[in-house]
Amino acid sequence: MSFDDMVEDLKAREAHARAMGGPDRLARREAQGLLNARSRIEALIDPDSWVETGLLAVSSMMREDRDRTPADGKVAGFAKVGGRMVGIASNDFTVKGASSSATNMKKIGHVKRVATERGFPMVFFGESSGARMPDNMGAKGMGSNLGQDPQQYVRTRQTPWASAVLGQCYGSSAWYTCLSDFVVMRKGAIMAVASPGLASFAIGQEVEAEDLGGWKLHSEISGLIDRVVESDEEAIAEIKRFLSYMPSHCNEPPPRAPVPAGSDEGSSRILDILPESRKRAYDVRKIIACLADLDSFFEFKPKFGRTAVTGLARMDGRTVGFIASNPMGKAGALDVAGCEKATRFTVMCDSFNIPLVLLVDTPGFVIGIEGEKQKAPGKIMNFMQALQMCTVPKLSIIMRKSYGQAYLNMGGGRNSDDVALWPTAEVSFMDAGFATEIVTWGQQASDEHKQEIRAGMEKDSSAYGLAEIYAAQAVIDPSQTRRYLIQQLEIHQMRLSGDVGAHRMAAWPTTF
Amino acid sequence: MATTNVTSEVIGTVWKVEKAKGDAVEEGDLIMILESMKMEIPVEAPVTGTLSEIKVAPDDSVEEDQILCLIES
Repeated sequence: MSFDDMVEDLKAREAHARAMGGPDRLARREAQGLLNARSRIEALIDPDSWVETGLLAVSSMMREDRDRTPADGKVAGFAKVGGRMVGIASNDFTVKGASSSATNMKKIGHVKRVATERGFPMVFFGESSGARMPDNMGAKGMGSNLGQDPQQYVRTRQTPWASAVLGQCYGSSAWYTCLSDFVVMRKGAIMAVASPGLASFAIGQEVEAEDLGGWKLHSEISGLIDRVVESDEEAIAEIKRFLSYMPSHCNEPPPRAPVPAGSDEGSSRILDILPESRKRAYDVRKIIACLADLDSFFEFKPKFGRTAVTGLARMDGRTVGFIASNPMGKAGALDVAGCEKATRFTVMCDSFNIPLVLLVDTPGFVIGIEGEKQKAPGKIMNFMQALQMCTVPKLSIIMRKSYGQAYLNMGGGRNSDDVALWPTAEVSFMDAGFATEIVTWGQQASDEHKQEIRAGMEKDSSAYGLAEIYAAQAVIDPSQTRRYLIQQLEIHQMRLSGDVGAHRMAAWPTTF
Repeated sequence: MATTNVTSEVIGTVWKVEKAKGDAVEEGDLIMILESMKMEIPVEAPVTGTLSEIKVAPDDSVEEDQILCLIES
């Protein structure tokens, strides 16, 4: 073969690989408004930055599949997003349902290893059917394919991972989604351990796909995803936004962004949002919007664990993580889902050198049988331990109520590097009326006796009571909170380590 | 014309309804106040428009995500 023929042969092989599952399958996707594995990559990356790995890889197990498995159903490579390198794994559902095979698992493993060792994020476009059959069937199938990479599902958070759930996600797409720091899901996509079909055959459970693993389940009940969108394009835009807040790896601080004009103007609105009545709720997200750089708040899991609000934002151009109790959800009493959400977010921020700002208005933890069945004490301690293990700066603002153990979980005492109070703050172990009932429980206490007891319980719970014993560092005018936080973020920069924390939770689980 | 469902964030009861069917509302206007866990939970207009229907009355029990009223905009 001449050199020219060799080059032509190479081009033909590459063209075949890039054609994916063929024009008919690609056209059907396009008609449904779906991007394909390669157009998703194009929509994500900076122009002309794509470097593919394993383009000519094909199925190695079944001889008859060699010509029917372009790129072996998983497109992998490296590219720039916003000028920074990322690793990408994009499942091509038009090739054998992007099922996992001996070859394509090596491709994904390579990209993950390079991203981890060279220090840049991973992006997964999830849409895969699970292990390829019959390749993985039988003892030899299992022994030859699965389990060849002992680090395949290890998550040690050296670099950020972002996943998009963009179709049917069973097997590896579901697993990588659950190991990621950020997950966006397109409505209509499904993520589950196994398909509705298998659930039907194997356990006789007739289920609708949406009920088994749809966006409502995962955004409101399981909490396994962070954001819901309507289209592939929106999902990709959300991944770009997430990455913009993050460092490329754990050994550098997050990038700094310009501060949008008007970012200081929100502070004056705080006292319009905060109700004068302590019984009146308000949406704490409105307070966050006043404190953060203009339009920079990027909320995680808005519909899950609504007693807490978590999200990334910027203050003076620096990435920060907000954790806030929200009086609009169960009066701000933190429940099991709220604790899980706060724990996961704390671990992520700590692992990537993102300071935490805690906004507190909580009467405590939700109590009762339902929470206990869901391991409430364990969830509370996961959150508490995460906060105490944190080595990134932690700043706490007590806005109104901060009671009991929740006072500690939300950064009270020495659990933050700095605690500031609004004059509206009230801090105690519990409501004086409840405390009276508890200490007189089972007694035939007269009303007069209860009044005496209650008088002893009604101690000074004001902001000034805490400030006088220096259990908080300052009482501040709410309208000065943004300025105060920016000053404290500068004071507490981790100068001795180049703004890099100790990452003591880097290998903690990604779900709790 | 688009219809926006205004839903309850919480399980609770309706305490006060501050607007009536046909009222014009601006985004952020208070429509009603719910009571849940001894707290007053404001329900605000998510969009500017006209209240085309109010589906609850004071003392009604409401569930999370229950539609409380509709706004045409």
